Amino acid sequence: MFFAMIKKEFILVFRDKHALLALFIMPAIFILIMSISLKDQFSHANVSFNISIKTHDKSDLATKFIEDIQEDKSINILKQNADILLIIPENYFKKENIKLIINVQNTLKSDLIEILKAKLLKKFIDIKLKSIAKSLKGLSPKASKSLSSVDISSEKLFIVKYFKDGSIPSSTQQSVPSWIVFGMFFVIIPISTIYINEKKQNTLVRLNSMNVSIFKMTISKVIPYIVINQIQVWIMIGVGIFIVPLFSTPALVINGSFISITLLSIAVSISAIGLANLIAVSATSSEQATTIGGILNILLGAIGGVMIPKFIMPESMQILSNISPMSWALDGFLKIFLKNEGIFSIAKESLVLIIFGIITLIISMIILNFKIKKGL
Amino acid sequence: MIKISNVSKAYGSLKALNNISIEINKGTIFGLLGINGAGKSTLLSILNGLSNIDSGEIRIFDFNLKTQKSKIKDISSIIPQNLAFYDNLSVNENIEFFSKVQNAKTEDIQKAIELNKLQDILMQKASTLSGGQKRRLNIAIGLLNNPQIIYFDEPTVGLDPKNRNDILDSILEYKKLGKTIIYTSHYMSEIEKICDEVAIIHKGELVIQDTLDNLLTNKDENIIFIEILYKNKTKELNLNLINDTTIKTDEQNLYKDIELLKQNNIAIKQIKYTSSNLEKYFIEATQ
Repeated sequence: MFFAMIKKEFILVFRDKHALLALFIMPAIFILIMSISLKDQFSHANVSFNISIKTHDKSDLATKFIEDIQEDKSINILKQNADILLIIPENYFKKENIKLIINVQNTLKSDLIEILKAKLLKKFIDIKLKSIAKSLKGLSPKASKSLSSVDISSEKLFIVKYFKDGSIPSSTQQSVPSWIVFGMFFVIIPISTIYINEKKQNTLVRLNSMNVSIFKMTISKVIPYIVINQIQVWIMIGVGIFIVPLFSTPALVINGSFISITLLSIAVSISAIGLANLIAVSATSSEQATTIGGILNILLGAIGGVMIPKFIMPESMQILSNISPMSWALDGFLKIFLKNEGIFSIAKESLVLIIFGIITLIISMIILNFKIKKGL
Repeated sequence: MIKISNVSKAYGSLKALNNISIEINKGTIFGLLGINGAGKSTLLSILNGLSNIDSGEIRIFDFNLKTQKSKIKDISSIIPQNLAFYDNLSVNENIEFFSKVQNAKTEDIQKAIELNKLQDILMQKASTLSGGQKRRLNIAIGLLNNPQIIYFDEPTVGLDPKNRNDILDSILEYKKLGKTIIYTSHYMSEIEKICDEVAIIHKGELVIQDTLDNLLTNKDENIIFIEILYKNKTKELNLNLINDTTIKTDEQNLYKDIELLKQNNIAIKQIKYTSSNLEKYFIEATQ
């Protein structure tokens, strides 16, 4: 009996073109779009500037300054069509209160300008220090030597730690789990469509009259969608590994184990299917279910860090995000993709998701039982 | 035997069934009549274990419905008025699915297919079937577990006379196989054609239960119904109104009533003679 019910569910889902579109095509497209769009946002190593330089300062220091800029691999010196025109005023290195002019020609993000300013500041300080050291050479050789040895490179001064272990997600590592989780929760579309049709067509009542319990009806819907979610997960991971790099975007790198991915994605499935069941049995029409389900998915996605990564949210929003199962799911996937700490590292996330799924499934069974008794 | 003893069921303040007692003999076709909302469907869903009773007792083939619901579900089947199968599955896929759900035997599945003439449309998607074919599939699904008791809830609604007759003939075939059938319908002719015994329920109460032979042999005078267009002043006239647009009369009073209507400019839609006592009982019981 159970196998027949699972088979029926599979046939119905795979004949529902809209559901397939929502489950497989939509997240795959999102992964591609978001990975490509956000690749610069997540990769500071590849930041580069197209600059033209116009100097009115003919001093040796200004010449050295320009040479240092030219040597910087992240700065391309162009004669025309540059994004930034750098104007070095006359006596810039000689007099105080004369400022370097950074003339931004094209639309550039403010944080990129800040990066450029930091680079130029470092070069300016280097030159000034060396100049002072040179002038002190005769007066105080010790002070001169000490000043010459000052290294103000960021590598010397800072250690940046991302996610506690020194790693930051690439745009693909952020996009793939985000849209996997979002896509998995879209099982609301087929589950509610099939449920509402079963209600309308009286097949649920008929099945109940055939001694099929509410528990069996519900569980027979959980298993197929866990399988469907698994197919989704691995297709999306495939998109991240094989398709995304075709668009000059970093391929998905998975540091954790595939077993961890499978276990976590089953937990995500249970919570997504539980929520979908709850909405499906509560709704009176498929339009109502898909509208409520769609809006709820977007809200949970927004709160849970799917649309905007959690690490750029303010702390209060990061705390609030815990109410969304998508947030727990995303945290779990990021742990697997960025770290390799074994399956126990995702135990907390998995447990929360499974408990959420079981509670929503129990509530949906109570509602369905009540509705069947009332003839739906 | 199915024994319904003093059964009551209410939905909030609405009494759907009020102290009903009915006995249905094994191997018979039992007609359950009543206007919409009379309590027929409530009774069917109770008998099929889908709803609980508030008071009373029901015993079906020695099983107590309250304590042995699962066993009763195994030996009975309801053919719902609304088509209850999967539109997106083919006839064969529907049959296969519902067979496996009930652990049906191959010979029973085959018999259900044959009795309902589904052999030639097995590969057709259910949504593409004609009205009659859909009804036959709906019935076939209910027969897959070879039930001893079959509840038919208005199975011929919306069908043309040929398909209707086909279904009635197949129901008579099930009776020959020893099944006990409870049949609800609005069509008196169907009840007269297939039923052995009849009960009329009105506003949750049992009005009459008797064999069809008894009901039909108690011949009374012919009844005539005059259907008129609605007018307010009809109520003020000395006519035997059943409802706003139907007058019940007989041969002696027919011309007098027509004359009265003519004088008051009330248009007559049709005059209907009925010699069916069942229809007479039904109309009187449900007035």
